[in-house]
Amino acid sequence: MDQQHLSGYFDYNATTPISNEVAESMIPAITQFANPSSSNRYSMLSKKAITETRNNVAHLLNTNADKVFFTSGGSEANNWAIKGVLFKHTAKPGHIVTTEIEHASVLDTVKYCVEHFGFEVTYLTPDESGSVKISDVKAALRDDTQLITIMYANNETGVLQPIPEISQLATEHNIPLHVDAVQLVGKRLIDVEKLAIDYLSLSAHKFYGPKGIGCLYIKNVHSINPLIHGGGQELSMRSGTENFVAVIGMSKAAQEASLNVEQWDIDNWACKQHMMNLLNAAPINIKYNGTTAYDEALSNTLNITIKGIRGEALAARMEIIHSYIISIGSACSNNKSKNISHVLRAMDMSEDDIQSSIRVSFGRFTSIKDVDKFVTSLIAEVQRLLAISQG
Amino acid sequence: MYNDIIIDNFSDPQNVGDLDGADHELEIGNPVCGDRIKVRLSFTNNHINKAVFRAWGCATSVATANIFCSSIEGKTVKDIAQRQPHELEAMLGELEPSQHHCLNILAELHEKLAAQMNIGVA
Repeated sequence: MDQQHLSGYFDYNATTPISNEVAESMIPAITQFANPSSSNRYSMLSKKAITETRNNVAHLLNTNADKVFFTSGGSEANNWAIKGVLFKHTAKPGHIVTTEIEHASVLDTVKYCVEHFGFEVTYLTPDESGSVKISDVKAALRDDTQLITIMYANNETGVLQPIPEISQLATEHNIPLHVDAVQLVGKRLIDVEKLAIDYLSLSAHKFYGPKGIGCLYIKNVHSINPLIHGGGQELSMRSGTENFVAVIGMSKAAQEASLNVEQWDIDNWACKQHMMNLLNAAPINIKYNGTTAYDEALSNTLNITIKGIRGEALAARMEIIHSYIISIGSACSNNKSKNISHVLRAMDMSEDDIQSSIRVSFGRFTSIKDVDKFVTSLIAEVQRLLAISQG
Repeated sequence: MYNDIIIDNFSDPQNVGDLDGADHELEIGNPVCGDRIKVRLSFTNNHINKAVFRAWGCATSVATANIFCSSIEGKTVKDIAQRQPHELEAMLGELEPSQHHCLNILAELHEKLAAQMNIGVA
């Protein structure tokens, strides 16, 4: 989709539009057929591009290229970090600390390790702000804790978890820390060396890159089991011929993010403040779910409960009538437990409030003018739904 | 995604409203998805001459309420009670799995109307 026609897209946390520059960088890569692992003259270009990508991602994270390992995306990186660390302990399975608000690729992987290998787990509950307390993390640690896995920014609320403090705690107790930073990378500056994180997951399509490519940052390659055995790619940690076209796209996306992440964040913050000002002044009853403070949440995300309406119906009207795309806290279904947001539920929100919630997330192609038009449509549709339900 | 019938009936529902002096009221709630629909009817010579609704629910359930109301105007309860399951399915069009509960809502509206008027459903 052309970037000038993205003014109706308010679901950047689901996926970001691929940037024109990224798309253009990938086109010549389609015909670059040579296997980067070969030693012929054709492969040299492929090998060089792979190395450049690793450098660009390393620069984005402020680390060295030999600590960056390509994966098929965030879910694979999360699976690898958790299984790769815990499978070293299957002879004597210990304890895992995580939160109730993780992405399914973390929660389901932890559950798998618990059910199949006998690990024990403590799930931390966030407070009303959407963040876990560092004191709760500390209290959860045990002598046999073998992994802490906690996300940096929540995909539904944008709320940041106290990763610097958790990292300090993990270091003091000599416990490996994995951070799912899929929603943070490309939205805020990150320095994995300074943070002393052991493992960090990222996904290119969350920062204007292609789908199907991501990375796991690994501080110490000897601390984790390989994911895929075979041809020896990725230092024999994740074998398999590289998805070259996607790798090239991620290279450009990482390069753009390194250069622009601070400006994108400033622009997002301006949009968020503007949206909140407009919503606060509107004649509708709203509540923000989770903290909205700059230091405590992403600048591009608002999770909002709008009393008296159903989020699903509002999202439908926004799309059908105005072509706006947003997300919801609860999908309509016969299976309630599967379709109520586990994040909002963990924040102790009532079912009614969750069903009345929407998530709005924006990004580098969103302007203040887009926000103006969006909020005008949103208010009109809320009022229409209230008229349908209440008169 | 929503089919065209659902889109039409949800985006511009014609039977939303209240009915002063209604002859009859139906109210249903789905305990699983939380949808709530209230229908008010008026009769003339055993025929429903006006049916309006208020609904709190997903897009498909709001559309279902509108489809139900518009489909019963001008008809007798006996005629409405004769509708077969395949006719109810056709009224909503092709639904995604997550929208199938709205067929139950439509069936419940029919059943409740017939039961309250002491007429057996087909």
